Parts: sequence; structure tokens; C-alpha cells
Amino acid sequence: MILNGKVIRTRPSFGVLIVLPLLLSLIAPIANASVAQDEPMGTTPEDVWSDDYINMVFPWAPANEAKLQFKEYHSYETMKDRMQELTDENDDIFQFLEGLNGGVNARGETTTGDTYEGWVYAHASPWLKITGDVYDGDYNEFVGDSGNYADRPDVMIVGNHHAREWMSYETPLMVMEVIAFSYNNIGYDNDGDGRVDEDGWGDDNGDGILDDDGDCLALDASFQDSNGDGTPCGAGDLGVDEDYSEQWITDLVNSREIYLIPMLNVDGNIYDREVFCPAPAWETCPSGGWRKNLRNNGPEPGPDLTQNVDEDCDGVDLNRNYQFEWGWPLGATIPLIPGTCTPSEDEQAGVSNNDVYTGPFDTKDNDGDGLINEDNVDGEDDDNDGVKDEDWAGGNSEPETRFIQDMTEMNDDNGDGESEYKATLTYHSYSELVLYPWGHCADCQTTDHEQLIYHGDEMAEMTQYTNMQSSDLYPTTGDFCDWHYGVHGSYCYTMEIGTAFHQNEIDIDHIAVRNLGVAFYMTEIADNPREQANLGIANISQQNILQQLEDVDIPEEGDIPIDLCVPTELKASAPNSKIQWRTVKPSRLQSDYGPREWATTAWESVGVMEIEGTCSIANGNGTILRGMIPISETATGTLHYKASVTTRDSSEFQYPGDGDYYTLDLSYRKAYGSVFGSLVMFGITATFVWGGLAVCLRMMLKDDEELDLAAAEVAEMANA
Amino acid sequence: MAEDSDQFNGRMGLIFASIGAAIGTGNIWRFPRMVGANGGGTFLVPWLFFLFIWSIPLVIAEYAMGKRSRTGTIGTFRIFAGKKFAWMGLWTAWISTAIGFYYAVVSGWTIKYFQLGITGALNGEDVDTTEVWNAFLQNPGQVIFFQFLVIVLTLAAIWKGAKAIEKVNFYLMISLFALLFLTLFLSLWMDFSDGTLDGALFMFTVDFDMLMEPEVWINGLSQSAWSCSAGMGMCITYAVYMSKDEDTVLNAFTMGLANNSISIIAGLAVLSAIFAVNPDPLATVTGGSSAITFLALPEVFALAPFAPIGPLFMMAGFFLALSFAAMTSMISTVELCVRNFVDHGYERGKSVALTGVALFMFGLPSAVMWVKLDSNGVAFPEFLEVQDHIWGYGLMFSGLFIAFSIWKYGYYRWKSGVEAGVAPPGFKGYLGFGVSAFRDDFINTGDNDMHVGRWWDLLMYLAFPILFAVLMLSYFSDMVANTPNVWDPSNPKGLSIIFLFWGVVATLFIFFNKFLIRRPLYRNIPNGADVDISTLPGGDDELVVALGEVAPGFEHLSKDYTLDAELV
Repeated sequence: MILNGKVIRTRPSFGVLIVLPLLLSLIAPIANASVAQDEPMGTTPEDVWSDDYINMVFPWAPANEAKLQFKEYHSYETMKDRMQELTDENDDIFQFLEGLNGGVNARGETTTGDTYEGWVYAHASPWLKITGDVYDGDYNEFVGDSGNYADRPDVMIVGNHHAREWMSYETPLMVMEVIAFSYNNIGYDNDGDGRVDEDGWGDDNGDGILDDDGDCLALDASFQDSNGDGTPCGAGDLGVDEDYSEQWITDLVNSREIYLIPMLNVDGNIYDREVFCPAPAWETCPSGGWRKNLRNNGPEPGPDLTQNVDEDCDGVDLNRNYQFEWGWPLGATIPLIPGTCTPSEDEQAGVSNNDVYTGPFDTKDNDGDGLINEDNVDGEDDDNDGVKDEDWAGGNSEPETRFIQDMTEMNDDNGDGESEYKATLTYHSYSELVLYPWGHCADCQTTDHEQLIYHGDEMAEMTQYTNMQSSDLYPTTGDFCDWHYGVHGSYCYTMEIGTAFHQNEIDIDHIAVRNLGVAFYMTEIADNPREQANLGIANISQQNILQQLEDVDIPEEGDIPIDLCVPTELKASAPNSKIQWRTVKPSRLQSDYGPREWATTAWESVGVMEIEGTCSIANGNGTILRGMIPISETATGTLHYKASVTTRDSSEFQYPGDGDYYTLDLSYRKAYGSVFGSLVMFGITATFVWGGLAVCLRMMLKDDEELDLAAAEVAEMANA
Repeated sequence: MAEDSDQFNGRMGLIFASIGAAIGTGNIWRFPRMVGANGGGTFLVPWLFFLFIWSIPLVIAEYAMGKRSRTGTIGTFRIFAGKKFAWMGLWTAWISTAIGFYYAVVSGWTIKYFQLGITGALNGEDVDTTEVWNAFLQNPGQVIFFQFLVIVLTLAAIWKGAKAIEKVNFYLMISLFALLFLTLFLSLWMDFSDGTLDGALFMFTVDFDMLMEPEVWINGLSQSAWSCSAGMGMCITYAVYMSKDEDTVLNAFTMGLANNSISIIAGLAVLSAIFAVNPDPLATVTGGSSAITFLALPEVFALAPFAPIGPLFMMAGFFLALSFAAMTSMISTVELCVRNFVDHGYERGKSVALTGVALFMFGLPSAVMWVKLDSNGVAFPEFLEVQDHIWGYGLMFSGLFIAFSIWKYGYYRWKSGVEAGVAPPGFKGYLGFGVSAFRDDFINTGDNDMHVGRWWDLLMYLAFPILFAVLMLSYFSDMVANTPNVWDPSNPKGLSIIFLFWGVVATLFIFFNKFLIRRPLYRNIPNGADVDISTLPGGDDELVVALGEVAPGFEHLSKDYTLDAELV
């Protein structure tokens, strides 16, 4: 710059200084322009969901981790590593174990940890104990797990009975990932559409459409069948049951004990993967593969001398090896007698006639009465000696089935001698079926037939599979579910998932997604599946047994009563039921983030009392349970509340369910003030503020006068 | 020495200018909202308390500093805290200017609403105030036009310097008073139509249980500090124009009390109106800031008595008062910035123009960027809110810097006093001589009618740091507790982004400090004023000269030139 003919060096002026930070402040937040949160109205997935969701990138792992993203199969080793890794990260809810400690089991046999290791590779099945505060609760010396609580129903979820059914362990692994990711991660937006927990598993509103939030159905037709199974917006498609409630899962984990055994048949699985059907298995033997475990069925005859496993002869079908109605007398398959195996050239192609070998006959006189196998396990006292099922014909001969049997019989949290597992689930492949007991007899029904059908239908609806009695597919003896139901009265389901034994890798993710909800459904009904089914069949379901809670009358003063209208048939137990509540103060800042904002606000609960009078519900009259929420009269904001009703038979129902809650705007209820008090305060304020101001102004004017006087004097003096 | 150095004519001029700076939209919409959210009259207790122990003492300090340094914020820190700390003044100037960027946009909204009010566009049963608001905010042309209008009006007001500011502020403030009283009258009329004065009752009833809640006190403190502009450098700037024997203490009290008086009137007017017509008044009052001002109040005013004249008066009157309040704050913001330029030898006209252009340009993103709809379908300017988020909290540091200067001066004075043998050594000596040094030297100068006692030292040295820490901690812990992903630097509402920008700006300013102090600083000294700075940490700076003098090494900035720059 040139001024007065001189060149002036320009220095960085503070004009520049002011500009620099501003430029910075302009640039940085642009990078954060938040994702559009509009209602999904578009016709392409990109219009609706986040890119990650569209590409089925799961939030629990980096996108390039193919196994954790369910784009590639786990092996036994990677599965175990991941189970241990997640246990380290979630040690408040996960406990990692392998097999059982052993000891003296329910039938007096002494076992050790080795008892449960596979014949050839000598691994015990790795499993997870999942429950809230897993390192509290009782420790079970035999099983080896802690976190045993008498008031928490137990559920057992087992995968991979059959070595080649790879989806049957991938699905439980996804269940594991979902639990680890969802626990206390309340309000996560799974599909990235800006809405939270808007589409849980199943058909929420009973209209027969799974896509409750309609985001998949709103897509252009060409995008509606993302998994290519021919059903637009069907189970497993993008946008269907995709945004489940993390609060619900968290509540389940905190109120249940989940025994998750993703890979029961470790031996068979390793053998199938590494020896029998090398990768890519879905190309070489999609519907073949190794099915059984690796029991050595004897060296005679044949080529067994030089190898661990005789492909033609060895192995036991674990799902025929449970003791209930084992093998005989209604066995559809004759036990393979050692030495008479029937080899087949085409076994790798799945044509085989000894794939369902039930295991050897028992040769012991278990009760020492001189007779052998005179009282098979069938729930009846076949030999009229006053003891039931004490001299079995066979079964439970394998490390894997003994593991399940001992885990079931030695896990007794409340010491009543009965199995804790009121609900059990096992994944198999393939056929897209939901199977319930019985399997061992044709044209027969369990005493819980209706109830089993009810839950089966619920799960068939959420997976769009077919629900049927196991024996209607084909009769089986000694399977997992017949044993669990027949011996322990556990509601047990077999999910036949997918469309191949070795499913193509590209199908892992959507088949697992499709079958996730089933595991949580079974977990939820584990409190009392029979009662749950009865209430469901009688149409005393969640939607119509309780009055909508919105018509709350907020009294002028005092606690706010919240009423539950409960049908008499529910047999609710008032002392064990409660209303949970919390108050929050919404602000603009928080509403930008949606319901997630309250995830950390704790719930409080109040008990309920049965009060006089009746209320009306869809089925007639009901009784009123009332909880009094202690809300101060000066409180403003929003009240969140939900109810939990426990029946006298200890079934639990949450309202409104799925981790959801009702909200009620609270307004200030107190009188706006007292006349006297406000007059006093007004006086004080006015004195200080206006009085003070008046004093100041007076002083000021006086000063000015003095100044004027002084100025006049100066002027006079000057004049003089 | 120039005879007609730029200063305020009478002390009323100064008072009006300072009150104008202090009274902003914060008195008119923030105060009623805080009263509503903090238990009505309960809130008045801490709010009054902190007026006397925080806001007024700080304003006294600012006046005293500016009156002695006779420069804007940069010069004041350069003189009072020493050469190394000129950047603190730059920070103070920057924060105020950065806020000005978006404040101009907000001021534009108020003018737009005045226009809507006077044309009757907000009256009538079928007017959906949300639609009106969204339509306006989503129309960039409109928003920019009104932002531009505000800046032009502001520049026009300050172009000619202090005397013009004085005049403009005088008329604006008188009009503001009149309009507020009119609104108050109509509001009380409305509220009394059911036989009770609910709004007034609520506003003056103390709930003693609620008084025990720390949140109420923290809110009272921040409201008092915000609305009095205490510690923001405004009063330093205006003190430059004080006549030589001005009473800083009395001025501070007058300003603080006048500010609170306006708050009470505005609060009563707004609360009475809302309580008169709204079934759930508290929920309305505690709604978002733009929600209450631009959505709820028009609905309330539309129900004023004497239709159609009443609603029209109320609507137009309120928003006109609001725009006046916003304008006076705008004026002081610009003046604070301009003063700093002028101090460093820039021509006033050029400085004003530069500031104006910067205000407009850098305000544009806040005006038009990221205008979004919230979950209730109400438009909000997210970029503007992010700016507010980042720079709004930065104001607190300006106050801390002022206190720092006072502490520094006390220590420096005691130390040099000990060396000269006039001050007692040791900690006791420091307490006796150093702590009170600032007060003895710059406040109790003999010009003040009210003697400021030891209490002021206690407040500055003890209460101030404690309250500052409490305020900071409560803000940040609140943010940490209530903001999701608060540490994520890409979260525009998180904490990391605040610290990032503060860090970058502070680092930049500290770095540029050395360039800053190489420039001469011209002090605006009125004839015969006692402005000796030799006892100050920055007093030995030979580049600090009086206006019209020549700074060594800067002879090329001719006397006439610098003088002209100031005396247009």
C-alpha cells in the first residue's frame, strides 16, 4: 500500500485474524451435515435407509471383516475366538465355557471335563452363558457357570447337531452378536432411517404383514425382494423386521438366563469342513456332507485300519441319540450294528443309508435287576418296578449328547429337581420348517399339542416358514426335542432353516437375519410357555388385555394414578406386578437425536394395588390394578411409563411391550403463586431495582447540576 | 490535544449507550423463559443476588479499565495485562464480532416480524404461526434482505462515532420503554380479564424448596451475566468515550439496575400475555427460544383486547421494541470491533465499512445454511445454532480475562511498590496493598460519589473465580450429560468442536500477539483527563501514544492522518 509517497509494509492486521477463524468455523461443520431424517417415502433403498444397512453391513464389526459380517463362514476356531472376544468385551453379561466341569451327574455317573470332548479332535462344545450380571448369582459347580438366579427362567439354544448344517451355527452366532451389540445400546437405529425401534420381529399389529413400518412395501417393486427368495418384503428382506428394540433385548438379558451353544458337533464340523467336503462346500456338496459325529464304529470290516474316521461306517447321528424313545420300538431307522455298515459310493453326494445311526445299544443292566434294557426312557414304568425309565435301551452314548443331557439335568437354580429349561430351541438345516414334538410317533399328539402349535405358528409367521409336527415330516427317534419335551416337559422347537446343508456364502447373512427373532421369542416365553400359549390362544393377548394407558387422569395434586385393566382370566398377581416410570425434560437439542436421548435415564418402579370396580376390555370385564406415580406438582416435562404384569403362574407381560413405553406430557400442577408472597417479592424486587435506579438517577442529576454550577463558576472566573 | 475528542456529551448519553448494549433480545425473550423454567419468583432471588455480586462489580471494572486505557479491548488488555496479553483483547473482540455475524440475522428476523405485525399478517384466526415462520426462514432472499437491512441501519448509526451512537440509542431506548409499557398494559389487561393476575402471581412467588436447587442459581447467574453484558468488553469500549470525571461506579449501578428494570417489565408483559390465554403456560414458556418468540407470542398477541387495534399494537409494538433492543446490541457489537481498528490507526470510515462487509458476508451462512425442520415441523437454522453453540460459551472467558488483568495489576503494583519501598513486603503486604491496588487506583478516583469498599476486592479475588468455575463446570457437565456423542468432534453440538475452535482461535491469537503489539496504539484521551498509565504492566510500551501523537517508527502515519481518522 502506498501512502504519502511511501511504501508501507503490510503487516498481518487483525482484520485477517478475525477472518481466519471464521473461515475455519465455516468449513468444519460442513463435514458434519447430518444425514437426512425425512420420513421414508422414496422408492429406492437409498432414499430410505443408510448405505450400511442397504449393503447389509452389520454395526458390530468393520465392513471388511467378512466373517463378522456374515459374508463368510466361521470355522470352529474363529467362532471360538469371537465368542471369547465378545466375552471379554461384555463380561457383565457373557460367560464363555467349554463343555462342563463334570462330577457326579443326575444318574449317579461320575464324569470329568474329558467326558464331553469329541472322539477325534477332543474339543468340548464351546458355549456362552448370557444373563445380566453374569458373575453374580449362584455358581454351578458341575456345569461351571455362574449367574444362576432362581427367579430367571432359562432357555437353551443349540446349533449344529449335524456337522454339515452350517447355517445352524451361524444363526446362533448372529444371535450372540445382536445381544452383545444391543445390550444397553438403547434406541439404536438399526436401519439408519432416522426412526428407532419401529419394526420388531413378527407382525406387531396383526394385519398379517411383517413389514410393520411399511418401509419395504413402499419401495419400488424391483427392490422388494432383496434376498431373492421370491417373496417381496418377506422375512429376511431388507426393511422387514429390521429395527427391533434394544430395550426389549436388554430387558430379556436381564431377566433370563440364555444358554447359547452354537456348535454342538465340533468334531463332525471340523471333519466336514477340513476333510469330507473341502471348500467351497456349497459348490461341491450343497446337499451332501458329513452329518454325524465321529464315533468310531469299529475297525471291522473295511478300510478303517489306517484312518481315524471310516467314512462308510463311523459316526452317530446326534439328533437320534437322545434317550427318549430311543431307536426302538418305533424307530424309523434301524440302529446300525457295528460291523454291518452299508457303505455307499455316493455318500458325499448325500445318498447314504447310515446317516441316522442312533448309536449303540446299551449293554448295561443299569438297575442291577438282572434284566437288560427292560425299561426304556418313554415316561412309563415299563417293567412295573415302581421306577420309571431306569434301564434304557440306548442313547446318550456320545460326548455331545451327554453334554446336553447333563447340562439340562444338573442346572437346577431353584433346587426343585426339575429342568430349568422351560423353553428350548435347536437350529437345523434345511427345509424352512418349524417343527414341534412329537417326532417319534405318527398320528400322535402331545398333551400340549394346541400350545405347541400356537408358539410354532408365531415363529412360523415371523420366519414365513411352515409350522408342523416333527413326525409329519418324517418320524425320528431320540431327537433333541422329543427328549426335552418328553423327559423334562420343555417346549422345544426345531428350526429347519435355509435351503441347503452347505448354503452358499452369499446367503448366510439374510438367512441368519430371518431366523434371529425366533431365538428371542423362545427366550421371552421361557418364563411359562404353556400359560403364555393358553393366554394367546384365548386371545388374551398383549393388545387387548390391557387398556391403553393414555387416558390418564392427572389429579390436581398428589401422585398420578396409572391404571391397568387386567382380564380376570390373566390371574395377575398384584404384588409381583409393577409400573415403571421416569420423567424427562425434552429439549430441542435432544429431539434431534430421537428416542435414543433417554437411553441413559434410569427407570423407577412402583407397585400396583388391586382397586375396587371393574373396567372393560375387549373380552369383557377386567380388574383394575393401580400404581401411584410420585410426581411432584411442580414437575413439567414428559412422563414415560410402562407396565409389567406377572401372573400367579409367573408369566410376565410387558405393556406396551417390545421395550416400548407410553408418554404423558406433564404440566405444572401447583397454584401459580400466593397473593401475599408475590406482593412481598414484588415489593423487594421493586425496591431494589426500581428504587435503586431512582437513587442512581437522582445522584446523577445532582452531579450534573454541580458540574453545571462548577462550569458556570469557571466561566465567571474567566469572565472576571 | 484535540479539543473535540470523540466522547459522549453528557453522562445520560453514556448511560443510554451502555444500557442499549446491555439490553438485547436476552431481556425480552430469554428472561421470561428463564423465569418460567426456574419456578417463577424463585428465579428472581438469584437473579437479583448476582446482579449485585457479579454483574455490577464486573461492569465497574470494565468502566474503570476503559476509562483509564482509553482504548478498545485489545488496547486495554495490552495496557492492563501487559504486552503479552493483547491477544486476550483480541479474543474478546473476536467473540463479540463472531456473535455479531449471526446476531445480525436474528435481528433481521425481529424486523421482519415487526413488518408482519404492522401489516396484520399475523392477526386472524386462520394464521398458522408455524407456517409463517417456516415460510420466512426457508426463503433465503427474505432472510438476507432483513439481515442486510439491520447491518445498513447499524452502520448508519455508528458511522459518525460516539455522538451519533448516543443520539440513536437515546431515541431507540425511549421508544423501547414506551413500547414495552404499552405491551405491558395490554398484557395485564388480558390477564386480568379472568379476575386474577396469574402471570404476575407466578412471576413473583418464591418457592422455597426450589430455591435450594443449584440449577436455579446457576441459571440466575448466567441470566444476569448475559443480560448485563458483564465481562464482554462492551463497557470497556463505551468507557473510551466517557468524559474525564465520569463516575464509573454510579454508571455501573445505573446501567445494571436499568437493565433489570427492563427485564422485569418485559417479563411481566410476556408472562401475563401467555398466562392469560394459554392452557399450559409453563410448557409454552419453557419451549425453545425461537418457538416462544416467533410462534407462541404472535398467537398470544392475536388475542389481545380491543381488536383489531389491540392485537395490531401489541404485535407491532412488541416486535418493534424487540428490534430496537436487538439494534442497540448490534450497535455496540460493531462499535466494539470498530473501536479496535481505530485504536490501531485505521480510519473510522474504513473500519466501519470493513466491519459491515464482514458482518454481512460471514453472516450469510448463518442466514441460509442448514435451515432444517425439527421433529415438530418447525424450521430452525442449524448453522446459526452451531455458531451460537461454539461462540456463545466463549464469552465467559472474556470475563475471566478481565479478572485476570485485575489480579495481574494488583500483583504487579505490589511488586513494584515493594521495590520502590512504598509497599509492605510479604503475603500480608500483598493482601493489604496489592489486592486493593486496582480499586484504589482506578475506581475510587474521587470522581465517584459512592466509595467502593473492600467487598469489591473480595468479589473479584474470591467470588469471581469460584462462580466462574461453577458456571463452567455446570455448563459442561450438563452438556456431557445431555448430549449424545458429546466427545465426537464431528458432532456440531458436542464439546469437542467447542474446544477445537476455542483452541484454534486462542492459539492463532496468541501467535499473532507479537505482530499485534508491533503496531502503534492510539489512545482517545479527552482534554485534561487523568490517564497516566505508567504504573500499569503495559505502561512502558513506547508504541502506546495518545491520539495525535506520533508513535516512534510510525512517522509515516502522519499526525493529520491519524487525527483525521478519529475526528471525522
